[in-house]
Amino acid sequence: MDIDIRTFVELQGVPFITNTVTTTWIIMIVMFAASMSVTRKLNMIPGTAQQIAELLMEGIHWLVDNTMGEDKMNFAPFILALSLFILISNFMGLIAVRHPTADLNTTFALAGITFLLVQYHGLRAKKLNYIKGFFQPLPFLFPLNLISELALPISLSFRLFGNMLGSIVIMIMMYMFVPILVPIIGHIYFDLFIGLIQTFIFVMLTMTFITLAMD
Amino acid sequence: MYTLLQFIIDSGFDWLAEQDPKALILAASAIGAGITMVARIGTAIGQGYAAGKAAEASAMNPQTIRQTTFVMLLGQAVTETSGIFSLVIALILLYTNPLVIASGIGIVLICSTLGAAIAMIAGFGPGVGQGYAAGQAIEAISYRSHMQGSIIRTMLLGQAIGQTTGIYALIVALILLYANPLL
Repeated sequence: MDIDIRTFVELQGVPFITNTVTTTWIIMIVMFAASMSVTRKLNMIPGTAQQIAELLMEGIHWLVDNTMGEDKMNFAPFILALSLFILISNFMGLIAVRHPTADLNTTFALAGITFLLVQYHGLRAKKLNYIKGFFQPLPFLFPLNLISELALPISLSFRLFGNMLGSIVIMIMMYMFVPILVPIIGHIYFDLFIGLIQTFIFVMLTMTFITLAMD
Repeated sequence: MYTLLQFIIDSGFDWLAEQDPKALILAASAIGAGITMVARIGTAIGQGYAAGKAAEASAMNPQTIRQTTFVMLLGQAVTETSGIFSLVIALILLYTNPLVIASGIGIVLICSTLGAAIAMIAGFGPGVGQGYAAGQAIEAISYRSHMQGSIIRTMLLGQAIGQTTGIYALIVALILLYANPLL
């Protein structure tokens, strides 16, 4: 692993295909293939793969129901896909591949999806009142409201990016000084534990902000 | 023409101009790595508060010791985030400081290095705040242990928002190091 991102293809001096992009593609293919093969033949008596999938589905349904409310259950598939992608990305450090989430482009794209969803659903649920909300409590506070709205994707993306960059930097140092056995502890804490917590925080914040904008 | 070099010599920093600029940046990195560690004070205060609350909770309600210990460790681990951020900046400054090979005016490079380190002191606040949140969550769980799930979710959500200030500090530090507009 490296602190800098490796670029494979450049387009007019701008990195176009990097090692995080290829890892993202592989994760997408694996997730797509896994969900296709699980849902191909569904049985009343589920096999192991179907049981795991049902467990994930039920867990996410419980979480969405508790955080967003019964009327927003149609967000559950998006939340499940988002959390699985971030979770697998965060676990990539275990096989010495750079986490796609340790690339600002990936996390900013994910936070951008959340930002657009918040704006779209807020506008659809509250109509004119949503725009009026930007001019409250006083009309001249509009720039401040706009900045606080734009702070959401920035803080969301940098939270994930900063934590994963931290795990990369610390793991490199760990491998430099004690290359045997000790990095296992580091992997458990910085990849598994922090990865899980940060996935949960990203998904929870996404759900909370969408709910706040809609209600 | 009144250059920056002239200014440095005039203002009594003439010994700075005599040094090799690269050596000064390396020296600034060394000071900077030390300065970033100041943020750990806040993390320590927060973690200590959470530990104290856990001790109190286990004395008041011994049946919930396992739950409060779990929440204590979870809360302390999240509190550690700002400490990890400053550790990252310190390690970058020590091992792969990009400003060492960057081209620019020496004093600006030195100040950017120091500025990146000073920005990380902001991690003090999130450390204390997140530790306080963890402590209160532990107390809440010792009173109502059946609400554990929702208390932990609220705690993590609040701690994540409380972290935002520290994240802005990290953004400024990374901009100063990797995408400095002043060079």
